[in-house]
Amino acid sequence: MVILEVKNITKRFNGVHALDQASLRCKRGKITGLLGANGSGKSTLSKIITGVYHADSGEISFEGKQVSFSNPAESKKNGISMVFQNMSLIDDLTVWQNIVLGCEDKKGMLLDDEAAKKKARDVLLELSSDIEINSRLSQLSTSDMQIVEIAKAMVYEPKLLILDEPTASLENKQAERLFECMHSLADKGVAMIFTSHRMKEVMEMCDEVYVFKNGKNAGYLDFEKDDRDEDVVVSMITGKDRKGKIVSDRRKKERAPLAEKMLEVKDLSYLSYLRHISFDVKKGEILGIGGLTGQGQEELMLALAGYYRQLDSGTFYLEQEQLQLNRPSRAIEKGIFLVPGDRNKEGLFLKHSIYHNVIFPKLASRKHPIVIPKKKYQVLCEEAMDTLSVAALHGTDTQVMSLSGGNAQKIVVAKWLNFQTKVMLLSDPAKGVDIGAKEDLYAFMRNMVNTENNSVILYASDSDELIQYCDRVLIMYEGKIIGELTGDDINEEAIQAMGLKGVQHKGARTR
Amino acid sequence: MKMENLKKVTSMQNFSSFVILLIMLVITTVLQDNFFTLGSFISNVNAFAPLILLSIGQSIVMISGAIDLSNGAMLSLMTCILASTMQADNPLSGVKALLIALAAALVCGLLNGFAVGFMKEPPVIVTFATSYMFLGAGLFILPRPGGNCANWVLGFYNMSLVENAPGWLIGLTRYVPPVFLVILLVVGVAMVMRRTRFMRYLYATGSNEASAYATGINTAKIRIIAYLINAVCVFLTAVYLVAQNRSGDYQLGDAYTLRTIAAAVIGGVSMSGGRGDVFSAIIGALISSLVNKIIFFANLPTAYQTLISGLIVIAALGVSFLYSYLDERKKIKELRGKAEVQNE
Repeated sequence: MVILEVKNITKRFNGVHALDQASLRCKRGKITGLLGANGSGKSTLSKIITGVYHADSGEISFEGKQVSFSNPAESKKNGISMVFQNMSLIDDLTVWQNIVLGCEDKKGMLLDDEAAKKKARDVLLELSSDIEINSRLSQLSTSDMQIVEIAKAMVYEPKLLILDEPTASLENKQAERLFECMHSLADKGVAMIFTSHRMKEVMEMCDEVYVFKNGKNAGYLDFEKDDRDEDVVVSMITGKDRKGKIVSDRRKKERAPLAEKMLEVKDLSYLSYLRHISFDVKKGEILGIGGLTGQGQEELMLALAGYYRQLDSGTFYLEQEQLQLNRPSRAIEKGIFLVPGDRNKEGLFLKHSIYHNVIFPKLASRKHPIVIPKKKYQVLCEEAMDTLSVAALHGTDTQVMSLSGGNAQKIVVAKWLNFQTKVMLLSDPAKGVDIGAKEDLYAFMRNMVNTENNSVILYASDSDELIQYCDRVLIMYEGKIIGELTGDDINEEAIQAMGLKGVQHKGARTR
Repeated sequence: MKMENLKKVTSMQNFSSFVILLIMLVITTVLQDNFFTLGSFISNVNAFAPLILLSIGQSIVMISGAIDLSNGAMLSLMTCILASTMQADNPLSGVKALLIALAAALVCGLLNGFAVGFMKEPPVIVTFATSYMFLGAGLFILPRPGGNCANWVLGFYNMSLVENAPGWLIGLTRYVPPVFLVILLVVGVAMVMRRTRFMRYLYATGSNEASAYATGINTAKIRIIAYLINAVCVFLTAVYLVAQNRSGDYQLGDAYTLRTIAAAVIGGVSMSGGRGDVFSAIIGALISSLVNKIIFFANLPTAYQTLISGLIVIAALGVSFLYSYLDERKKIKELRGKAEVQNE
């Protein structure tokens, strides 16, 4: 039973087509997947359906009637709810206040707080969450905040629930719980639209999949009739044939990493995030860091980038020479560069042009001339864009804010191209990045370590990336390195097993 | 159980500023012998009332994440409108004046609210500009301080001056000044409003406007209403001052603007929005006023009042910074402690 029909929606931003005659259908009790590169229009489509944006042309009918919502609160009242990516919560309010925000019940003229608290408790119970409803939102962890976002969308029993990358900040256990909820919602007849960059999730969860490319419909699979074939979907997304390419890329590289150590870390400890970590990275090697999310991987990247003023312990050796990593500038001077986890907040000047972003580190280096050699830098910038295949509307003058996630991430990397890289630290670089850009970035990394014999340390929350691109993988659990995988041992089961083994250990200890 | 209750009380939002208020009260009682007499109480209330009322309005605007630099000028303008419309022996003129002034206040509030909420202009710039507009309007209406106050309106200040005032009212206001009742009324309304949607949305808008908007809250409307409420507070203060001085003055409000901001901050209202409440504003206004009193009784020159006021604001900001710094340190210590326990 079709509950939502989207016909020929077109939406332009500043002359660029975000959506071009896009169409979509959702049925009651079915989970519809939306796949596509960033910039393919899938999140724009979700936002138009819920009323955050307004379409230029086309029609939407919900439950048989034509609709056009002017804001998210209106669509929510009419039964369409959207789970945002941590962008609609208020820090200074409590959990329960956030969950019912915008749709509070009233007892006469005043708010009915008791009913609100009960609703909040009920919906959190459904999500099997033990979050305390009276705690201030600012006290929660990121993954708990995402749970509150989900609760907020579910609390008014929507008929259509749109989930936009809901698992990006969730741990595996929480993600599984979310999927269970989605299944029970489907059983109750709720329709869902589910977008995720994690192919596996979409393939497993959805009953049908729409693929978008450049704002247009690029493909459709109905899993009642068609096979759940990842390769077919990927080729629809990238437009390239990818059959059988999930073989590890490292087999295709020209040579093995050298035996010489590039970076050596001894007994690194920081609060409870990092505990007595020791490891080394060889020259020409891509080292992966895996494990469940939130086990200290991000903190490890930050520590290696010199972010923490005062570590509890730790000595570092770069090419046999000891160095202090207590300031980012020290790390940068030595050629250790970080591509941070949150590129918008930590890696880019959103309101500035590509040019300004790319050449910025050069301006900060000590030997910089007083007058900026604009022409020379312009050329460098264009070369960098070329190396990483960045396509932008206004070339180097394009405002970074307008770039897709993938292109923006390439700009973060482009900053360091003009320096001598010794170690490139990547903190979940493919988060929110489309497949094409992701492959470009990783191809660049592989090429770099092969030709320059430097190293890459890659933290990826998606084990596929670890399998495909790393020579070695270290698994972290609760701030410690609990395992190491090399060569052919790097596979999904091993990574998951090791990551979870830490959990089992914990279970055994607590009696 | 007792420890839990103690913890609950000390972590209440206005606790620390309330403690500071008590300290100020103690110091004042030491310096002024007759502090706890009725006469002293009445004169203190009458002196502190304008700042209290204005700070309440300012705090509402600040909670929404904005600020009002025009409340002083608005106050002056209101007194000019009131004093020029009223005639001493014409009770109807009093009614007319109140209605016109209230309407004018709402227009001023709407102007501020529209520019900040709807046009999304920065509050500092908007209210700075409107303050000049209000000053100009006040000058135009009453080029020299003067005017009149209708007899019954004097009751806002002193009931015994009102002809034909009922005996019980005069008796009551011998112990409780009229303006105190006005403040109680405002506080009562504020407490009721706590349980309204508007207040919840006010805090949401001030804490994170983007998130509030994404949730479908009409943040423009919330901002406009906040400025309107502020305007009403300014209006009430103006009526009181005209009753007290029996005249209007286009410069009257100048001294108040920054003091209302200082009072709100001292009391714990956050400049960035989303934190603090009406009681914070009242406590802050009282602390600020008592400090001035202390300076007076300590025989320091009045010039010191502004200096000390400024220092107190910096100190108050410093204290809140200290609190969050200590919180951070506590968190880190906890994490370190956890780490040591788990590090086998």
